[in-house]
Parts: sequence; C-alpha cells; structure tokens
Amino acid sequence: MGLFDKFKSRPPASQEAPRKEEVTKAANRRAVLVGLDGTPCTLVRRFIEDGTMPNFRRLAERGSLLQMDTAIPDISSVAWTSFMTGANPGRHGIYGFLDLQPNSYKIYFPNSRHIQSETLWDAVGRAGRRSTVINVPSTYPAKPLNGVLVSGFVAVDLNKATYPPELVPRLREMDYRIDVDARKVQESHDALMDEILTTLDRRVKMLLEQYDAGRWDLFIGVVTETDRLQHFFMDAIENPGHKYHSAFREFYGRVDNFLGAIAERLRGETFMIMSDHGFTGIRQQVYLNRWLMDNGYLRLKDNARSVEDIDGGSRAFAMDPGRIYLNYKGRYPGGTVDKADAPALLGEIKRGLSEITAEGTPIIKRIYDRDELFNGPCLGFAPDLCVQPVYGYDLKGAVNKRELMDREVFTGMHTQDDATLYISAEAGPLRSGKPHITDIAPSLLDSMGLPVPQSMDGRSMLSRA
Amino acid sequence: MERKGFTLWFTGLSGAGKTTLARLVEGELKARGHKVEVLDGDVIRTNLSKGLGFSKEDRDTNIRRIGFVCDLLTRNEVVAIAAAISPYRAVREEVRRQIGSFVEVYVECPIDVLSDRDVKGLYKKALAGEIRNFTGVDDPYEPPASPEVTVHTDSETPEQSAARIISRLEELGLVAASQTEGYSEEDEEEVRRRLEALGYV
Repeated sequence: MGLFDKFKSRPPASQEAPRKEEVTKAANRRAVLVGLDGTPCTLVRRFIEDGTMPNFRRLAERGSLLQMDTAIPDISSVAWTSFMTGANPGRHGIYGFLDLQPNSYKIYFPNSRHIQSETLWDAVGRAGRRSTVINVPSTYPAKPLNGVLVSGFVAVDLNKATYPPELVPRLREMDYRIDVDARKVQESHDALMDEILTTLDRRVKMLLEQYDAGRWDLFIGVVTETDRLQHFFMDAIENPGHKYHSAFREFYGRVDNFLGAIAERLRGETFMIMSDHGFTGIRQQVYLNRWLMDNGYLRLKDNARSVEDIDGGSRAFAMDPGRIYLNYKGRYPGGTVDKADAPALLGEIKRGLSEITAEGTPIIKRIYDRDELFNGPCLGFAPDLCVQPVYGYDLKGAVNKRELMDREVFTGMHTQDDATLYISAEAGPLRSGKPHITDIAPSLLDSMGLPVPQSMDGRSMLSRA
Repeated sequence: MERKGFTLWFTGLSGAGKTTLARLVEGELKARGHKVEVLDGDVIRTNLSKGLGFSKEDRDTNIRRIGFVCDLLTRNEVVAIAAAISPYRAVREEVRRQIGSFVEVYVECPIDVLSDRDVKGLYKKALAGEIRNFTGVDDPYEPPASPEVTVHTDSETPEQSAARIISRLEELGLVAASQTEGYSEEDEEEVRRRLEALGYV
C-alpha cells in the first residue's frame, strides 16, 4: 500500500461536524503541543526506561506514547509543513529545503510564502480563537495570524520572523536565538555542544514566558536543538564510552525538565508532544547524483556546485535527500526526456538504484513513484521518484563528490518511521493505527472542538466511539 | 521605494470590522516605514463632525469632512485610513475623485451575522426601534460597485483580511513588497550557508 492510500481511504467520520453536545463540551478546550525536532520514539522509550526522562515517564503513564510515520522526504521543511497544514506535499507544495524555480535549474529556498495550504492556526483563528506558535520551522517570514508567531529554522531576520512586531524588543532583550549556529563544529565539538545547550536554555526560557503570557487557545512550542545534537552527536548515545555520552543524556535531561515545566502548568488542556522525524546513526552518506553520473543519466559542467550547473544531455538529477527528477522537455530549459519515455526510464533508474549495496547488503529500502506519495494542485512540482534508504545510509544531493559514498562530520541521519507522538489522556480514547504526521493537526482541532478543514489529508487520532 | 501618500477607505455596515482592520493595516504599514493616520468614523463624530445627525445630508457632510482631511494627509505623503460606514455611493465617488490616490475596501458581512454578533448592542436597539436611521436596518447601504478590495469578515479572520488588503496595496504599487517577501539575496546566501552546515546543500 502506498502511503497516500491511507488518505484516500479516510473514513467519512472525520469529515463530519462534531455533534452539538460535543461542541458545547469542547468549546472552551485548549491544547498544547511541544515539538522536539528529530527525536526518535525509540530514543524516548529508552530514556523513559533508563531514567533520563522522568517527566516524560509520568506523562506517558497517563497518556499514549506512539511511534509515528512522517512525510516523505523526511526532512524538517517537508515534515513541519505537513504537520502545520495536515496535508501532503502535493497539496502544500513544499518538497525540500531547496527547490528549482519553474522552467529553470535555478535553486530557490521555499519559505512560508510558498505554502499553498491553510495552516492549523488559520483554522483556529477562523473560529475566533488564538494561537501562540513558537519556533515551528518553515514559517518564515511570519505571516499575520490571530495570536503570536515566532518563526523557526530557516529564519534569518528576527523582525521578519515575529508577529506581532511588538514582540521583537523583548526577544532581543532575552538574547533569543532562532537557531543553533552549526558552523561552530568547525571550531570544535565542545564549542558546538556549548552552542546547543545555550540555545536550548534561551529557547526554553522564551517558550515558558510565552506560555505564561496566556492569551492562547492553542500553544505550539518547538525545540530544534534535539535535531542539531543528533546530527553531530548521534554516535555518542550509542557508545557509553564516548566523550559526549553523558552530555547527550544530560541534554535530554534538560529537555525533560522543560516537559516537566509544561506539565505542571497544564490546567486540563490536551497535551501533545511530537517530533517531525526520527534519527539513527550514519554508516555512509550516499550521493545519488554521483550514481546518476556514473550510470550515464546526468552530466555536469566542470567544477559544478549544485544541480544549477547541469550540462546538456542529462536525463535525470537528484535533490536532497532522495528526490529524483527526470529532465523533462518542456519542464526544464535543457530538458531531454519525452513524457512517453518516462515509464521505461523510471523503471530503469529504480532497478539500478535498488542494486546499490554496501558491505554486501542493499542500501535502498524502497523507491516511491510520485503518485504513490503525492496528490493535489502542487503535483506538477513533485519529484518523479523518492528514494528511501535503509537505516545508516544517508542520501544526499551534493554534486561535487568523486565517490558514491563517504563520511563527513555528521554522525546522525533522519528516519521516516520512528517519529514520536504523545497524546495525553485529556484527548480521550484514541483510534487504532499508526499515526502519520498529517494526523496531528486534525487531532488538535478535534480536541479543541473545532472542525477539520477539507484541505487536511490527515485523520484525527481521537476516537469517536 | 519612495513612500507615497494614499487614502485607504473602509466602507461597510456597523460592526463589520472596519476599525479592527484599519488598526491591523495601520500597524503593518507603520512597520514598513509609512506615516499613517486613522480617521475612525465613531471618533470623528465626537469632534470634527460633532453635532451632525444621521440624515442623508448630515451623513454626506460627515463623509466630505473626512474626505477633506484624507486629501490633506494624502498630499503630504501620509497614508490616510478612513473607517466609516459611508453608506452612500455617490459621496464616496466624489471623495475618490477629489483625492485621486484612493483605495476602497468593502468590508462585507451579512446583516444576520452582524445582528447576531452585535458587538456594540446597536442592532438590538435598532431592531427594537429604539434607534432610528440605522444603516442596514431602516436606512440604506449602497455597496461599492467596484471596490479595489472586498473582504468577507464572516468567513475570514481579521488577519487574513488585513493580509489580503496589504497584498492588494502591494499589487497597486502603493506599498513596497520587498519587506515581506521571503528571502532577499543576502538572506539566501545566509540560508545556503546554514543549510550547508547541516549537510542539506
């Protein structure tokens, strides 16, 4: 079954308006969601077991901790946009951190202006209720809403990241940081760890201050430092003898303190905790453009820095993380592929990719056709294939690599099937089935007694039984 | 971009959201470096138009006075925002011709929604006959024939309506778009560096 099938088979129950008595009962309900970027569910379970996260343990004892699937491609820009719109990329239009401008090979960086679907907080605002949304990635520049929004990754200018603008002076006063400066790793791992901890502390301080400022019906606060830690220190948690093993656990102890601080503030709100994808250790980085070049599908100009430097005669190219695009005539200025030839070419590329091995075993878990994953008005910009690797093999879009695989400074990579979703008992009984990241927005709206817009592909996790 | 003056004229029934939207747009335009003045109908009637009633003649006089001030402000590179019911089309058109740089926003909301909402408690009184000459109840309202923007405050949030007004002003070239577009060229370089640091580029 393709991932999209779950959307197609949505039972009609979630589209029905709540019954009147439910509306009345739920009308004043508020909801709180904490996002932990990139925190794997398996890691949460381990930290609950070994005592690293005692607050999460207490929460899990009176709620549901579930492993969740995230969007494909499983990177933050796509995943968080799928979260906030409850929609698949074919509808919301975000397929990666970078994309190509129409009829061109020129790269652009998608931002909030490119999101084509209504957000969760638009729906909350339409009902006359307020949202406080702090540090959700891909919300930059901040768009006006009924409430407060401070954009997350990749926000550049705090002025453009903040709505309403009156909040900016306070953020500056607090020395708030939008993101960890990952370039610190070039200085040293100590410097990067220090940067991660400092950014986390300032983030938590601001999140709690905004929580306490009240005036919200929906509070969303995201911690990004979890993801940054795992990109550079994932090897530390697997190895008790590692220099940063205890620092990794202490970091999660601080995250747990933050969860405890939220938990003690709750006054009957539905509380959810989520991550946008999981994480695992890297064995090798894999460069799909190298493979496409070696197999005669892609030609690049000398000293190419990106796919912008594609050369004539190319039939396909890859973009981070595992997106493959055919170089269609009509879609790209140097297009070579006729639509009629696409099925055979895609089949050939899929077979070839499936045969890549490392240490004697295949490294590709599954290759999705476009229509298995995406559906909606933005389908025309979708990649033709999305490649899912097995754990340990991180797919990359770099073009300047001489080898198919190598290692860089990174020790962690994203996973698609091990994201985290916690839902507190206040939400009532949950339906069965593994949650998908697009199910969160409908679940939050449902828990607040608000209707789920038709534009959302996900299904509420709340049971109506 | 040179900051030009213009008049942004909100028209619509009482309680439709003219003042709320005027204040939201005011905040956004100030943040973008414009000089802005709001002329609110309810406030104007307590000073500039004090003593005027609600006959057609008095209503038209009130609108001409607001229009006169808007014209002065517009000529001096100020964005003049008028939020007044201004029920009669002819006098609005007269003010438009006088000012020239004039953007009309029709704040549309069905009367049954307004009387349900009844924020100021006026619809109840008007329907009970305690207030006379109440627009939409026993006094006419003539919607604009071709406003630059129409917002539907029964189905949009104020923020969504305000954003639509701002983007129309951008389209008309009255407000610079660059401040709210995604990334500038310098931003893009910074975004690229940050994504490189995480291995995404």
